[in-house]
Amino acid sequence: MFEVLATYSIPLLILAVAFFAGNVSASRHEKSLLERQQTVAHIHTTDLNRFSQPDPTSQANLFTAEVTLGIDHFRGFLGRLKNIFGGQIRSYQKTLDRARREALTRVIEQAHYAGYNAVANVRLEFVDISGKANMVKRASIVTIIAYGTGYRTQAPPTGEQISVIPTPAII
Amino acid sequence: MIVVNTDSLPGYEISHSLGIVQGNVVRAKHVGRDIAASFKNIVGGELKGYTELLTDARRDAMSRMLAQATELGADAVVNVRFSTSAITQGAAELYVYGTAVKLATSTNSAALESPPPIPVS
Repeated sequence: MFEVLATYSIPLLILAVAFFAGNVSASRHEKSLLERQQTVAHIHTTDLNRFSQPDPTSQANLFTAEVTLGIDHFRGFLGRLKNIFGGQIRSYQKTLDRARREALTRVIEQAHYAGYNAVANVRLEFVDISGKANMVKRASIVTIIAYGTGYRTQAPPTGEQISVIPTPAII
Repeated sequence: MIVVNTDSLPGYEISHSLGIVQGNVVRAKHVGRDIAASFKNIVGGELKGYTELLTDARRDAMSRMLAQATELGADAVVNVRFSTSAITQGAAELYVYGTAVKLATSTNSAALESPPPIPVS
């Protein structure tokens, strides 16, 4: 009994640490993300390849952002277990969702601080940085590159807010 | 040089296209970074080392593309796309391409003469 405990104590400790630290870092990220999305919520953002009433005296510009998120070992372990039986792997969904929102928010923030009030033609792309894109198998890394064109729109704000704050897609 | 990923530009008209310009970079992380990242990855969260690596790669690829566009005498690069491929484990390719164009001055001729530098961030 004692021997078994001694053999598995280190992996179990790592899983426990990963579980708690992972929870803290995920909820902290979620919180800061919501705040930052709130501050740039007035920026009109679309993935349409056209400008809506652009200001011709303002020059449009490309903005790019990258983000790499890791999935903690506990959730990675759960994901691999879940993969045996199939079904939704929520922890992976959430991490992907957070990574995409983070990258997109960074693009919008850059456009905002450069003095633009709209972003058109937003694109989000998954990058296989580890050479092992299959998260379930080995690498628990999500890398997203986001880009879009910032411009000034003359469109008057309709209602109290032009764009809707993107909420987490997965609950 | 104006760079956008849309196929038109507010305030300008595209007079003609000069063809595709492109830039690529293959970057590998050094082992130290890999080890540091694998420790950080136990608890999850952002792996800043990898994010920076990708930002550097993107800047390099972009400047190569802009160098080509400058050589062609372009005013702008439109419809820019990013593409990536995993060459091997631990190395990634970042490829950026777009269409170099000549602009006809329409409503915004003042800005064309002194285009602002592209923000690096």
